[in-house]
Amino acid sequence: MLVVDNLQKSYRRHAEQVQVLHGLNLTVESGEFLSIVGASGSGKSTLLHLMGALDAPDSGRISLDGKRIDNLRGRARDRLRSRTFGYVFQFYHLLPELHALDNVLMPAYIEASVLGWWGSRKEWRMRAMAMLDRVGLGHRWKHKPREMSGGEMQRAAVARALLMKPRMLLADEPTGNLDVETGESIVNLLKELNAEEQLTVVMVTHNLELARGTDRIVRMSGGRVVEDEKPAILHHRLLSAVG
Amino acid sequence: MYKLLLCLRYLRTRYLAFVCIVSVLLGVATLIVVNSVMSGFSNKLKDRLHGILSDVRIETDSSGGFPESPETIEQNILNSPVGSHVEAMSPNIETFALIQYTVRDSYGNKITQTKQVRLVGIDPAKQAKVGGFSEYLIRQKNSPNPSFDLTDEAKWRLKQNISMANDDPFDFPRIPQLPPPASEKFGGFLINPIIVANPGDAGPLPPPVMTADAPARLPGAILGYSMGHYQYVDPDTKISEERKILMPGDEVFIATVGASGTKPVSATFIISDFFKSEMSEYDSSFVYVPLEDLQRIRGMDNHVNAVQIRLKPGSRDDNVFVHKTFVPAVQKIMPKPQSTVQSWQQQQGPLLSAIDTERGLLNVLLFLIIGVAGFGVLAIFSMIVSEKYRDIGVMKSLGASSTGIMGIFVSYGLLLGVVGCGLGTVVGLLFTYRINEIEALLSGVTGQEIFDRKVYYFDKIPTNVEVLSVVLVNFGALSVCVVSSILPALRAARLHPVQALRFE
Repeated sequence: MLVVDNLQKSYRRHAEQVQVLHGLNLTVESGEFLSIVGASGSGKSTLLHLMGALDAPDSGRISLDGKRIDNLRGRARDRLRSRTFGYVFQFYHLLPELHALDNVLMPAYIEASVLGWWGSRKEWRMRAMAMLDRVGLGHRWKHKPREMSGGEMQRAAVARALLMKPRMLLADEPTGNLDVETGESIVNLLKELNAEEQLTVVMVTHNLELARGTDRIVRMSGGRVVEDEKPAILHHRLLSAVG
Repeated sequence: MYKLLLCLRYLRTRYLAFVCIVSVLLGVATLIVVNSVMSGFSNKLKDRLHGILSDVRIETDSSGGFPESPETIEQNILNSPVGSHVEAMSPNIETFALIQYTVRDSYGNKITQTKQVRLVGIDPAKQAKVGGFSEYLIRQKNSPNPSFDLTDEAKWRLKQNISMANDDPFDFPRIPQLPPPASEKFGGFLINPIIVANPGDAGPLPPPVMTADAPARLPGAILGYSMGHYQYVDPDTKISEERKILMPGDEVFIATVGASGTKPVSATFIISDFFKSEMSEYDSSFVYVPLEDLQRIRGMDNHVNAVQIRLKPGSRDDNVFVHKTFVPAVQKIMPKPQSTVQSWQQQQGPLLSAIDTERGLLNVLLFLIIGVAGFGVLAIFSMIVSEKYRDIGVMKSLGASSTGIMGIFVSYGLLLGVVGCGLGTVVGLLFTYRINEIEALLSGVTGQEIFDRKVYYFDKIPTNVEVLSVVLVNFGALSVCVVSSILPALRAARLHPVQALRFE
């Protein structure tokens, strides 16, 4: 269980200090699929980065199974990023020099030394191929990112995020750069992983339709959680407000 | 593992990096070639200087030479504590002189030429034992007992010369004869041989008798090669060929100062051989004559003004022993200021240090090429880091540490350096080993002689590849590449993953 307690975060933009999160509180249960929605600038991505130890809060605390992770530094923080969290980004962020298989293997490359890799490379490659098969890209393992469609690149990014068998997948607008149909297929893939692997998924999205299929929707506004409901309730309320 | 993987991938995919590799390659290759050629020149020069100068030389500025006889000097040295290190000694007289000879131009006209030379009186057999004298002789090359004797061919030419002179009513009377002793009177250059008289003699020597028969012992002389030869360039074909001015059997007239005062003395000598050290200065100015003849001309009795010493093999190569032990010990026997004892390196100190300075300066200047390559690495890596902002963010989000990210770019710099240095070393060594073929090719293409063999009389460009020098050049180039990559690598390492991921 990941607990976010009274989280504050500000950024310096030019000469101005911009407060992004104002004492935010949130709890993410193990095995749940949580979606975070909200307008641009509401602090969704910032929250995701803080939860994933990519950034440090100004104050407040983040705990994973009772242990603080917001104050980790150095190797411990790198290991947390590598082993506990998996990240999926809006723009896929695959390394253009590497083909799909090597992109999926990148977390393992980062973990292993040259000698260590030599000993375990077959095992890793098999696992990476299994991940590519799992996301439906087993036949495209040799292809470089420029030879793949947006949906395929995002699938490869999901496979990469899953390689180290993380406890939590953090997806920052994974469908934001995809057409509706491909976006749905990606969210369906995440749902499958959540259901089959008991993988905790936190997804930031603008798309309410996609968020409706998740276990829980959190709506953010002005750096705070303003609504935290089951999808059916929140979705109905949000659509009413819009309509 | 990811550092190695990405380094290799960047090397294969970033074509801009080839600019860095080429810069390093050129710098390393140039430095290796220049160092090898400079070292080759330097070694050849040192070998020749050493060969001509022997290991240690004692000399005096006194015009009459050392007060002791050469035998006494040799005995004193052999009896000294360092005497056991001496392999051979050769007493010399060395002085400045004027040489005059007559040549015919292409129309058959006679031209009398006069040159300033360094006249050296030697015992050729002893001289051959103290240095590489005989290896530079043309006719008597590598002879263990070289001499001033004329060959039959030279004697025949001498006879021909005498016959021609007798037939020519306008020619000066000429006849070789043993040099006369020193005189207080100077007979002038126009009379040959000079009619002089010893201070104690009743009168001058009798005038020469014209005869076609040469005397039993002819006063031979060994001339520097370029005094008797020159390079003729055909104005039409531009092909150069070596032509002879003087040949063994031709006579030369030599004038110098006597031992007492500055009275000029002179004598006629017959060329018996040529001396070709391939050192322009020596080949154009050295004239060797028999020691006893020069002693006689200058009125030095049995005295010399220099002694050359050859040390035994173990001692000769020990610079510390030569300079700290041997030279001071001999200087004790032959005290200053009358005598100066110097090793060959001390004698040629300014020249040798000039070569070293020149080499050092060239290294510094040429290392700037690698410095430029370093700036290339810095600029190109800065571009690559900017281009890879998001990739760096992704890698950090996947668990890569800041030092790991830094390691990617430093390793990449090192890899470019290794490839550039490796290729540069191969190119540099190939260029060095094939430098003469390349020079010939370039000379053929441009129509200009790139390496003028007349300057040093080297048949080919001398080279000497020093392993230490190659290692140092490579180490320097690698260091420049690594140091140049540190700044961009630090920038990459300090990138915040969130900022990097948001970078557009």
